[in-house]
Amino acid sequence: MKIREIDLKRYRKGIIPVLILAGLVFWTAKICNLNFNHILSGFWKGFEFTLKMFPPDLSTLPELIEPALVTLSEALLGTVFGTLLSIPLAVLAASNTSSPWIRNLVRFFISLERALPEIIIALILVAAVGLGVLPGILSLTLGCLGMMGKLLADSIEEVDPSSLEAIQSVGARKAQVIYYGVIPNLIPKITSYALFRFEINVRLSLILGAVGAGGIGYNLVYAFNMIEYHKAMTAVILIALIVFGSERISFFLRNKIKMEASLK
Amino acid sequence: MIEVIDIKKSLPDGRKVLDGISFKVEKGEFLGILGPSGAGKTLTLRCLNGLLRPDSGSVRLHEENHIYEIGTLKKNELRKVRQKIGVIFQGYHLVKSLTVLENVMIGRLGYINSFRSIFYGFTDSEALDAIQALEKVKIDQLAGKRLSQLSGGEMQRVAIARAIFQNPQVLLADEPISNLDPSNSKIIMKMIRPLAEKFPVIGVFHQPEMTAKYCTRVIAIKEGKIIYDGDPVLSNDQLIEIYGDELKLIEKQHPITIPA
Repeated sequence: MKIREIDLKRYRKGIIPVLILAGLVFWTAKICNLNFNHILSGFWKGFEFTLKMFPPDLSTLPELIEPALVTLSEALLGTVFGTLLSIPLAVLAASNTSSPWIRNLVRFFISLERALPEIIIALILVAAVGLGVLPGILSLTLGCLGMMGKLLADSIEEVDPSSLEAIQSVGARKAQVIYYGVIPNLIPKITSYALFRFEINVRLSLILGAVGAGGIGYNLVYAFNMIEYHKAMTAVILIALIVFGSERISFFLRNKIKMEASLK
Repeated sequence: MIEVIDIKKSLPDGRKVLDGISFKVEKGEFLGILGPSGAGKTLTLRCLNGLLRPDSGSVRLHEENHIYEIGTLKKNELRKVRQKIGVIFQGYHLVKSLTVLENVMIGRLGYINSFRSIFYGFTDSEALDAIQALEKVKIDQLAGKRLSQLSGGEMQRVAIARAIFQNPQVLLADEPISNLDPSNSKIIMKMIRPLAEKFPVIGVFHQPEMTAKYCTRVIAIKEGKIIYDGDPVLSNDQLIEIYGDELKLIEKQHPITIPA
């Protein structure tokens, strides 16, 4: 009897979060004026529109290659600058390499940056420095700085304190303790996180192009505005290839790093 | 010569962990520190290179023309004195992602400026010296290997090579053979022993049979006080006095055979 009572209690407990979630879904759908017919017709219209975009106009491919390269370059530069800057930032944000007040200040800056999506940063920078690749690279650098800064700071805090103490015990200066005791442990992580961030930056730089930060994203939006749907489809295919290619390369390299680390 | 004069240290809860430790170690001496767990052996050793500051008393490193008061030095002065004190730690304390040779070269970081060590690295002659230090501990063939490919005994030899390469005036060894099997323990003790001819060596040990065989002198610490200072060969009664109930455990781990 007792076991049955316990089972029923567990069942009753489980249904409460489900009911809350269902209530939330209905409430938010109402706010968005969403109903089942809307969703269904939306899918259908989307499908019809996609069919209109076929076949892609491959004659426009040569003029899309350069903006595609700009998108990739933006992602690469944002990743490289962001990664390089994130290393000193992470050292300042880690409890074992920095003083408490500097650590708190830098951690606050990192949290603040992470609270702002890259697209918002790009919008602000486009307004501040004008259209082009510069706001794109800057916003990707800042985004990378926030993410890598936090991940690397956490990794630094995990470094074995005994090896740092040993370097300290030979009379090394703080910079030497960090360079010889902390950085070598971080290199596989830095490379792996940077490759992952490059994947993210490729996707982001495509979106940033749409808000005027350069690259093929801008050409896509422009083609839609000019009702050049076949050209837009060519851009979409090129974008899909860029994203797929960058993901595969990043995945391959990260796996290689992981395998090498496990062999060491 | 290194001299410890009446050092005292209490924990935040008021418990005295070092209660008036005094001793002096000169070149040619290999001092073994024995004592039960929690007696204050490692704390004493940490006071010797300034990793821990005693509440009172002093630790003095004597040079020909200068005496360093280690317990009262400021950060930068302490860093300079640490260049002169080599330390071998129980858990090796090596940087796992560096090679054997790079770990050895860390020993001389205190002597070179940050800019050079970061942007240029070590000179060829420093690398050669580091290889010679590895030759002394007979693992020069492992110079290019990563630490994960090494056994515990080999890692401790790397730590000894790092201390040799540091060219210290005093060598401290904190339980250097605790993690090693008897055969590796002997090899390590045989490597540490001759270093005492160049500079004083002070080691914390849990193996009275090893200190009896390799040390030139032994002190025993119990409850933060020195209760024995003298010949390294201890009688059974003396060992019982030092270790009490812990002696049975030590005998089980390291059977004590007192040399004749």
